[in-house]
Amino acid sequence: MSEMSREQLLAVVRSVYDDHDPAPSGLVSRMQGVARAAAADLGFDMDVELMTLLEQSSTLAGTRSTEAATRSVYTLRFVHGQIDLLLRVAPDGDSSRIDGWVVPPEPITVRVLHDNGSVHGALVSDSGRFDIPDVPLGLVRLRLEPHDDRPPFVTPSFEI
Amino acid sequence: MSSTTITERGEAGHAPGDVWAQSADAFDRWVAGDPSALDDLVRVMSPVLWHVVRAYRLDAEAAEDVIQTTWLAFVRRSSAILDTAAVGGWLTMTARREAWRVAKATNRSTPTEADELAPHLPRQRSSEAVVVEADSRTRLWDAVDGLPDRCRRLLRVVAFENRPDYASLASDLGMPIGSIGPTRGRCLAKLRVALIEAGEL
Repeated sequence: MSEMSREQLLAVVRSVYDDHDPAPSGLVSRMQGVARAAAADLGFDMDVELMTLLEQSSTLAGTRSTEAATRSVYTLRFVHGQIDLLLRVAPDGDSSRIDGWVVPPEPITVRVLHDNGSVHGALVSDSGRFDIPDVPLGLVRLRLEPHDDRPPFVTPSFEI
Repeated sequence: MSSTTITERGEAGHAPGDVWAQSADAFDRWVAGDPSALDDLVRVMSPVLWHVVRAYRLDAEAAEDVIQTTWLAFVRRSSAILDTAAVGGWLTMTARREAWRVAKATNRSTPTEADELAPHLPRQRSSEAVVVEADSRTRLWDAVDGLPDRCRRLLRVVAFENRPDYASLASDLGMPIGSIGPTRGRCLAKLRVALIEAGEL
């Protein structure tokens, strides 16, 4: 007779409630309808708007003699409506670091959408700054989610 | 009778780790522009939210309203979730806060301390249930259902949530924050004893 672990006991609790008071049939499809309709209200179901790349420049070609030598610091500038987004991408060990500025500053959540499926988020500060360290090398897009009801918009893909 | 039975039954309830990983993956895909990922997130998390919300003694209709409010809040405020891996915890927390608010607003009489801690008698069984009394599932249910009210609520939340936040649990259940850990331990011990008495361990 083995002592049941805490996890096993909690698994018993889960299984008896799944048996005796399961989520009603139809709950999932009703909630999917609710969520989809709410997303559509906010324009999330439309094709997401793309920011325009205005400038791209390499500011410090070839930093020192490390393996990062072949990677350089560069800047990108995107615009969308009234929003100006400036990015500085710098080598950071085996990965990259993104420093960004949003002009004019406003509450926005920025997510790095990596080609490998990973997502890294950051919040734009009162002064319009944000930083996202440790972004793996590869193709990325940035998604900007304003905190009012405007739908999110994304940058075109770029290599880091 | 066994611990084999228990283990098999236990695994029938989904492993919680899968739920959190699947919900994080669905959220990642949704923000990356896959609209169908929202359906996946809702499919994975709605049953979890059901169990967490029902621990607040809401009837089925009120529980579903709370879950609906939670999904509306999620779609409107998903930008607040910076770490996409935390989406499951954000959803259960939001659902619990709403369930607590609704339960409080319905102004139901709160059981006294003594009521809460008294073992509660198994609910009357239907004749059909009596027939299958030998069934191990019934005995497992009786063991859980016979726990004191506070234990049943606490264990249901803890079982379905991913590392629930003790401060909010304490205020929801009307317990001092420092007592959540020890109470959870005592409730699990009571459950272990009940399972042994039922011959399930």
